[in-house]
Amino acid sequence: MTAFLGGLMQFFIPSHLLAVVALGLFAGQHAQRFPHAALGAFAIGLIAGSLMVASAIRQNPAALGLLMLAVAAASLVVLAWDVSNWLVGVMSFATGSALPLNAPPHEITIANAVAAQAGLAVAAIAIVALVMVIAMRATRPWQRIGVRIAGSWIAASAILVLALRLAR
Amino acid sequence: MRRRAIRTTPTPNPSPAKGRSRPSSTGYGGGELTAFVATILLLLSTPAFAHTGETAGGFLSGLAHPVFGPDHVVAMVAVGLWGAFLGPPAIWLLPIVFPLVMAAGGVLGILGVPLPAVETGIASSAIVLGLMVALAARPPLWVAAVLVGAFAIFHGYAHGKELPDGANAVAFSAGFVIATGLLHLTGIAFGLLARWPAGRLAVRGAGAAIALIGVAYLGGYV
Repeated sequence: MTAFLGGLMQFFIPSHLLAVVALGLFAGQHAQRFPHAALGAFAIGLIAGSLMVASAIRQNPAALGLLMLAVAAASLVVLAWDVSNWLVGVMSFATGSALPLNAPPHEITIANAVAAQAGLAVAAIAIVALVMVIAMRATRPWQRIGVRIAGSWIAASAILVLALRLAR
Repeated sequence: MRRRAIRTTPTPNPSPAKGRSRPSSTGYGGGELTAFVATILLLLSTPAFAHTGETAGGFLSGLAHPVFGPDHVVAMVAVGLWGAFLGPPAIWLLPIVFPLVMAAGGVLGILGVPLPAVETGIASSAIVLGLMVALAARPPLWVAAVLVGAFAIFHGYAHGKELPDGANAVAFSAGFVIATGLLHLTGIAFGLLARWPAGRLAVRGAGAAIALIGVAYLGGYV
């Protein structure tokens, strides 16, 4: 249980939240009904990322990848373009797989490591689903503008940190 | 250079002393007025710490960063005021354009690309945007967006120079971007008063006040 909660808490770091909230806004912005496919791709991505961590892929550019995905998703939210479901699915999968890679478990036993990854996955799925629902239900003009403004904030934050990481 | 040097001095601003001498010399003396002026000057002096060149981390630090720089605050509020004054689509376009272009300015600051007269640009943004509101200027939307975007470069550059390294960078940048956005929303909320004649006067008055604050910063009076 402790390992599960530890994994759950490991999700709540700013770069994870930026990427996941951007994805949720992006997937929910144009959805007429709940985007099950996007959530499914995100969950499959989480599993794939966990398997990659289990394969001892420790040194990876997941931190940069998450920021790039946040910039891409948030920029698309700002532009409010109609995009193909394939793009939503691919970005969901990519974000899902980058999360475990950016937060490998530090547990000694395999059971605890799995529990930690499960905690991370539960938190990530809950947050992305919540944001998807919020963005989907934002149908009034001012609500849709609010979604785009939130997208611009995420894009701006992620661009700055991305530049910082690449420059220093 | 002179203003930069003043801003980097982490000591109490001597402005209150100026405030004490002024009332007596003008004949408006009296302890209350002196205290009032001193308090105002003291409050205005805190933003001298806004661009110290030092870095700090964390969401709250980022959130506080623009708030403790009145030159930033008034310019951000002016963006919201002007957006509300111009109405749709400027009311939402300007607050979206600003953070994105500000991020571009931040990238220049992070990369160390030299940008002259950053503090002058920030003070000028308050003057120009304040005047736009005060004069009820209604240029084409693209002109408004370019103007706001151009000033956003200076604000972003100043923030980018002070972005901390490490894990806190994300939280810090998210904090100051959100604070900037909330200041825009404050301006928009106040600017919506322009629907009524009296409110329109209040909004234009606020624009004039913002421009005056910008002049004070540009002249190095605060």
